[in-house]
Amino acid sequence: MAEVQSLVTGNGDDQRTLVVIFLRGGADGLNMVAPLQDDGYHNARPRIAITKSKAVALDGFYGLNPLLKDLEPLYRDGSLAIIHAVGSEDSTRSHFEAQDLMEHGGITGGGWLARFLRAQATAAAGPLAAVALGSSVPECLRGAPAVTVFQSLDDFSLGNPRSRLTESLGRLYGLRSDDLGRAGRYTLEAVGHIDRLRGQKYHAANGAEYGADNFSTGLMQIARLIKARVGLQAASIDVKGWDSHFGQSTVMDPLMARLAKALSAFCRDLGGELERTTVVAMTEFGRRVAENSAFGTDHGRGSVMFVLGGGAQGGRVLGKWPGLTRDVLDGPGDLPVTTNYRNVLAPILERHGGAGVLEQTFPEFVFEPVRLFA
Amino acid sequence: MKLARRKFLRVGASTVALIAAAGCDRMPRELRALLSLPPRPDGPFQPPAQASIDFVTHVLNRTAFGARPGDYEKVRKLGATPEEAARAYLSLQLHPDKIDDADAQYAVRRFETLNEPLGELFEYQDDLLHHELMRGALTRAVLSERQLYEVMVQFWSDHFNIDPSKGDCKWLKVADDREVIRKHALGKFPDLLRASALSPAMLWYLDGRVNRRENLADKPNENYARELLELHTLGVHGGYTQKDVMEVARCLTGWTVRSLGERPNFQIGKVEFKPQQHDFGAKEFLGQRIVAAPPRLSLEKRKQVGQHELERVLEIVTHHPSTAQHLGAKLCRHFIADDPPANAVTSVAAVFSQTGGDITATLRALFDTDEFRAQRGNKFKRPFDFVASALRATGARTDASLEIIDYLLRMGHAPFNYPTPEGYPDKAAPWMGTLLWRWNFAVALSENRIKGTHVEVETLRANAGGDAGLMSHLLGRKATNDEAQAYHGSGAGLALLLASPAFQWC
Repeated sequence: MAEVQSLVTGNGDDQRTLVVIFLRGGADGLNMVAPLQDDGYHNARPRIAITKSKAVALDGFYGLNPLLKDLEPLYRDGSLAIIHAVGSEDSTRSHFEAQDLMEHGGITGGGWLARFLRAQATAAAGPLAAVALGSSVPECLRGAPAVTVFQSLDDFSLGNPRSRLTESLGRLYGLRSDDLGRAGRYTLEAVGHIDRLRGQKYHAANGAEYGADNFSTGLMQIARLIKARVGLQAASIDVKGWDSHFGQSTVMDPLMARLAKALSAFCRDLGGELERTTVVAMTEFGRRVAENSAFGTDHGRGSVMFVLGGGAQGGRVLGKWPGLTRDVLDGPGDLPVTTNYRNVLAPILERHGGAGVLEQTFPEFVFEPVRLFA
Repeated sequence: MKLARRKFLRVGASTVALIAAAGCDRMPRELRALLSLPPRPDGPFQPPAQASIDFVTHVLNRTAFGARPGDYEKVRKLGATPEEAARAYLSLQLHPDKIDDADAQYAVRRFETLNEPLGELFEYQDDLLHHELMRGALTRAVLSERQLYEVMVQFWSDHFNIDPSKGDCKWLKVADDREVIRKHALGKFPDLLRASALSPAMLWYLDGRVNRRENLADKPNENYARELLELHTLGVHGGYTQKDVMEVARCLTGWTVRSLGERPNFQIGKVEFKPQQHDFGAKEFLGQRIVAAPPRLSLEKRKQVGQHELERVLEIVTHHPSTAQHLGAKLCRHFIADDPPANAVTSVAAVFSQTGGDITATLRALFDTDEFRAQRGNKFKRPFDFVASALRATGARTDASLEIIDYLLRMGHAPFNYPTPEGYPDKAAPWMGTLLWRWNFAVALSENRIKGTHVEVETLRANAGGDAGLMSHLLGRKATNDEAQAYHGSGAGLALLLASPAFQWC
């Protein structure tokens, strides 16, 4: 590893990494972390609620969906904190509006993760400061100083070493001061770095077993970059398909199992490195409290967030539970948002980026940070 | 693939018919298509010669998937000035039915499933259908003479996006592509919208088929109603409320589609209205009232009420002023600039309204705006457009193989692969992360490393009149000194041009 390290121009050994997981489609927090002791929950979902007998009890009130059981050990050892009734101020219940608002962090230019990266004191962000697993730049990273999109390290190649072509491309892209010029220069740098990593076969540590799905292999690539210390500051990865209007359990069950298994493997693989890595999972909105006629749920408001590692004091479900009585429900019958998602991110961003990053990351927001850290 | 015996017979019969019908003059074209040869005559051609993009090149970049060898010269000859020539070309393109398109039609015939009637589609494996949809789209983009029409097919495919991976859409999207998108791409918007609303694939994709209210406790499924207002018509800031969404959903309860597994089998994909699932109560949305149906109507009457409410919803949303504005802005974003100029949007929206959503007239108005004329080379090609324009510019012969589709998947822009209803983004920023794969494609294409796709690099260079001509042809204008130096220094001139910053824009 020392050899790899000497080859890259990362930000040094103590680089913290923030991994942002977006559950796209509006994940149903109520069935992921069920409020078992709230009768309103069971009454509104006679056919699809998670029953007390099936749930993995977390505390006296909440229970984990059995398909998330791989997360239980992380909750018990204090690595995992859960925040409930969390979300954004967006009330359109539109996937695209809600995702946009959450990823942009308000009605403002660029993504919040991009602004966070720009706000960091360590100005010399390496070419692999931010990566997005997948095929396109997510909105949260729009406007980042640099971002590389990839699915596998093997993706980074122009084939054989072809220095004359890359030199010529470097010349043309170097002439441009616009976004495309930056993207071109950045791509050329990233290709060089990854060329050196590639070819070494990756072995997950501590007996961690990743699945074969895209999310699992994506997290494995992120673990690889973290351990290779290439100066990775932020990584973004999506789990799509949570829009459970119809036949909720057939939609969500496989996704939950995949999510829990991959996160469990990732934490095991990172071992001690989890201390300087924080994983945050969020979704654009939760689902309506009442089930619909098709064993599904429609677009709602509050959902859950998961925070893993990074020294957060886990083993707790945080956030104010508002209850599910008619008088507190939002709009057509939705779990109200009692914690704004920015207040979950705030303590993490300060820990990663130092004082002063919050104002630039989320301008014009008045913070009431959740107490994630002891 | 389940290939019924009658299909073998049909293939055999069409081959015989082809041979019988092929006169001497038609034979070469059919043979060319059969052998995936380029449709153009391979002679010398005159590339653009001026220092900046002229109107002819602009129109070929923006309203087509780029120029093939010889296209510039051919279009330029249609008028005394580049302006006049391009206008003449656009007039032809706005009437695709009058353009002979035998090459493309012949080439897509190999994708047999694209012509299968709805019920027959279920005989095939879904992967094959998906592959043929993607390969068909790329083949048409590269080969079709009806370029503007194909551009609009892509536009509407995004606007009425359906991800075929959901449920029966795996089979039904083929019919949606043919009978909704392609049928109405340059027709009337109300017809297009109506076809989409009653498209079996759309009823599946946005859950319209399970939007029902058999008793008062049932909550209608809002999914389609919301996207109808937010994406297909008024736009997210078009002035509707959550209440409007719920009321529109109520109006549309009962419209459903026969699914795989339902008996009888031959009716899979059939769209029907089930009065017992419809909410016959009074509704009010967007300031319009729909009165409750009187009780104890005959079945026939109740079916009429259901049909009427669907028509009313579509009529109200089509004629809402926000719809013209929304469509105008989207068209201007596609054809003019990522941030569509307000003036152009206003004039385009006005024509859309005046003509009752006549797509051809609306586009003509768009192409007449000063903004369309002025804003050249400022749209970042999305990956599909990049790949199609590279194949066209190089005169490649291609079978649009899955190897090429895989490049598009890597770049996140293979047709019929977008998961959510808003369709692929039509702005530059989300695509900036795709350069590495564009460059990989440029190298692979120019070195003939993609199976089933071939470029005659030396012939192309010679036909363009040498290095300077090749550069002008690919860039749509004379190369700058920097570009020329990079071209000569790269050791891989064609790859460098395809990978260059200039080729990423249209």
